[in-house]
Amino acid sequence: MAERVATTGSAPARRTFLAPQLVAIGVAGGLLSGLLGVGGGVIMVPLLVFWAGYRQRDAHAASLGAIIPISVAGILTYGVAGRVHWLDAAALAVGAVAGARFGAGLLARIDERALKIVFGCFLVAVAVTMGARA
Amino acid sequence: MTAVAVLVGLAAFGLFTGVAAGLLGVGGGILMVPFLTLAVGLSQHAAQATSLVVVLPTAIVASLELRRRGVGDLGVSLRFGVVGATGAAAGALLALALPGSTLRVVFAVFLGLVGLRLVRDGVRA
Repeated sequence: MAERVATTGSAPARRTFLAPQLVAIGVAGGLLSGLLGVGGGVIMVPLLVFWAGYRQRDAHAASLGAIIPISVAGILTYGVAGRVHWLDAAALAVGAVAGARFGAGLLARIDERALKIVFGCFLVAVAVTMGARA
Repeated sequence: MTAVAVLVGLAAFGLFTGVAAGLLGVGGGILMVPFLTLAVGLSQHAAQATSLVVVLPTAIVASLELRRRGVGDLGVSLRFGVVGATGAAAGALLALALPGSTLRVVFAVFLGLVGLRLVRDGVRA
């Protein structure tokens, strides 16, 4: 059951443009991304693992790739509305780009189970923080 | 704080979100939006828009690094994301039509649900 649409390419996933589950997950991730101003990874990663049968590491990698076009769409929509604080964004990006390279290197090496635990804790911590504030 | 101190602080925070984003496969917006609203004082809408601008280069750099290391399939991921982009445009337009406080509640509820799902699965496993 697990590796149904795993990235290394089962035949059904290859034949079509995209497996139906991926289409649904992409739209869900995109909608939340645009609505909440996040990349959408927090919803796409769990769905890719629980529903599409991705291995944890592959789900994180797929999420990062998907975030590229998703954030472009969000930026265009917000950019037209003139909401972006460009100087703040540039300062954040300088640090984030350096960190992303390092973080992705860690993702490539980390143990799958450790990754699940780290990601689960991250989501729970963020949820609790947000819940306390709201 | 002076403007320079704010920018240095933003770069430092960006470094932290970048590592988290690369490792956790998220854009980092989930960390940046609360930071931009609470610490920098941007409005919810401005914080979300600004966050998205940072998420893009973060995801590109992390994806290229993963491709270099042979993790995942970037082609499939990008197609997957193009589909998601249509949803993102719809979500962003919806966000602009809603008041900021509503967005905050939506954000918190959404995170709580995902977190609970993970805890439940972690306990079962």
